[in-house]
Amino acid sequence: MSAIAPAVVFFAVAGLAPLVVRDAFLLDSLVLILIWGTSAAAWNVAGGYAGQISLGHSAFFGLGAYAAALFGARWELSPWLGLAVGAVVATAIGLVIGYLSNRLRGPYFVLATIAFSQVLLIVGSRWRGFTAGSEGIPVPFRPGFWTLGIADKRVWVWIVLGLAVLAYLVQLYLERARRGYQLAAVREDEDAALSLGVPARRLKVAAICVSAALTAACGALWAQYIGFVDPFYVFSVDLSVKFALAAIIGGLGTALGPFLGSALVTTVETYLRAQFGGIGAGLVGIYLIVYGCALIVMVRWVPQGLVGWIGDRLRRRAVARVAP
Amino acid sequence: MHVIPQLIVSTLLLGGIYALIAVGLTLIFGVMRVVNFAHGEFLMLAMYVAFWAFSLLHFDPYLTLVVSLPLFFAAGWASYRVVMRPVIHASHNVQIFTTVGLSIALQNLALVLWTADARFVRTDYYAVVVRIGGAAFNVAQIVAFVVAVGFTAGLFAFMRWSYTGKVMRATAQDRQASALMGIDTDRVYAVTWAVGIVCVGAAGVLLAPIYPVYPTAGLQFVLIAYVAVVLGGLGDMVGALIAALVVAAVEVIGSYVIGTAWKEVLYLLLFIGILVVRPAGLFGQRGAEALGT
Repeated sequence: MSAIAPAVVFFAVAGLAPLVVRDAFLLDSLVLILIWGTSAAAWNVAGGYAGQISLGHSAFFGLGAYAAALFGARWELSPWLGLAVGAVVATAIGLVIGYLSNRLRGPYFVLATIAFSQVLLIVGSRWRGFTAGSEGIPVPFRPGFWTLGIADKRVWVWIVLGLAVLAYLVQLYLERARRGYQLAAVREDEDAALSLGVPARRLKVAAICVSAALTAACGALWAQYIGFVDPFYVFSVDLSVKFALAAIIGGLGTALGPFLGSALVTTVETYLRAQFGGIGAGLVGIYLIVYGCALIVMVRWVPQGLVGWIGDRLRRRAVARVAP
Repeated sequence: MHVIPQLIVSTLLLGGIYALIAVGLTLIFGVMRVVNFAHGEFLMLAMYVAFWAFSLLHFDPYLTLVVSLPLFFAAGWASYRVVMRPVIHASHNVQIFTTVGLSIALQNLALVLWTADARFVRTDYYAVVVRIGGAAFNVAQIVAFVVAVGFTAGLFAFMRWSYTGKVMRATAQDRQASALMGIDTDRVYAVTWAVGIVCVGAAGVLLAPIYPVYPTAGLQFVLIAYVAVVLGGLGDMVGALIAALVVAAVEVIGSYVIGTAWKEVLYLLLFIGILVVRPAGLFGQRGAEALGT
């Protein structure tokens, strides 16, 4: 069980920053850190708390992004409505994936989730009549809160922060409530949990559905914020790995971890892109090489993530202070 | 119907290459219990080897194939030592993320070094087509098929009759018991990984004269290999061979009937369908998927 205080500080700083900071670049970074942090937190609900490692979460993200973009661009309806519909559709697909998670474990489940996101990638990039195909959809800017046409990045920080806090609370619930303990039991030993009467299957499906809906909501807000939806990006395996990476670096199965992981990953990415982006188009890939190596190094040497590592350090120092 | 022989020939030619990619993947899984998510990146790197050997040294891809096999073995051995060995006894999740990390790093290394441009190996016989009966064959495809089938057969023979092959099969059956019998399992894993990389490397060189190479070129082929490997039962080499032909048939017939744009959806749906209906594959042991082994 992690303490709430650091999270309160983190979200308070994020929420108050727009009052002080006027710099558009910093505010933009903050919005992206919160969006990717929330996506990673959503991934963490399934991957960290329920132990269902998915590399197809971009399917949900892309669904949300497309729902918001299509509602805005094609039907001229509110992207909020798109967000809601995207979340519902993602939940429905979450049910299917959840069903698969009860039949498949380990690498089989990972392969199934990748296949799902690839199917959506192909549908998104080939179904020209509906999704505009591989060109992607530009999201029209229509000023107003209801149409999510907001130029002021400060407002964006607060909107995204709302979703981030929601994702944090979901994770906190999983850490503190009876259902959360049951889910942890399922993750550690499903057969043992089943024999104690824990509704293992239903819990896993529920966790995956919640995770899917939250990820779709992130996708919808991201589409509105960025203003363009590219099927090859929003449904990519790389994006799924990005969610997982932020959660793993921050700490699998910790509530604040995904946000800290996202802060680190997003900052490094922005820095490396700015540093190498201009020279040659290919050098943009450098941050992804860093991602890949970071993933290998983290799971091997720091599997508990930043939050776990800092926690260990603090505990050790506390013990050292008492001991002599 | 003069289409039928063409469809059959195309299926066989495509299936031969898919089989070679899939066999390496399933070998690694069978012995090491690791799904190599970086398999496609090794394929892509091998295609680049063929491309650079062709454009810088004017090596014919088939000469490159012979020369580069030791290189692929060494690369496989080294990547096992550096990346896989420390996690070989770790949990599935750790192994999955290790190979995924390797995949991303290799893919983007290629992007940084060689940019995202699609590159072609244009040999003299690039457009040579042989016609037999009603069916047309591209020469590069025929060579690829023949070599791939020979290679796969060689691998089967190696697994069946050589001492190393027997040791690998023993380790696949029971890693603890084989360690107790005095088998150096660490060495077996290194050899297995390296042989798997040699297979996919050979497939990459064979594909180079047929398909363009770019940093993400591996993904489309490795997805097919995953489908074939799961369809055949993870770890089952004969199963992978037959399943590769099945997947090739689905792709070829699908392309003919509904068009090339949607053929990927067909085999991905086939994949998901298999996972739902019979996750252990056509020939796999029931229940393997639920144990995750």
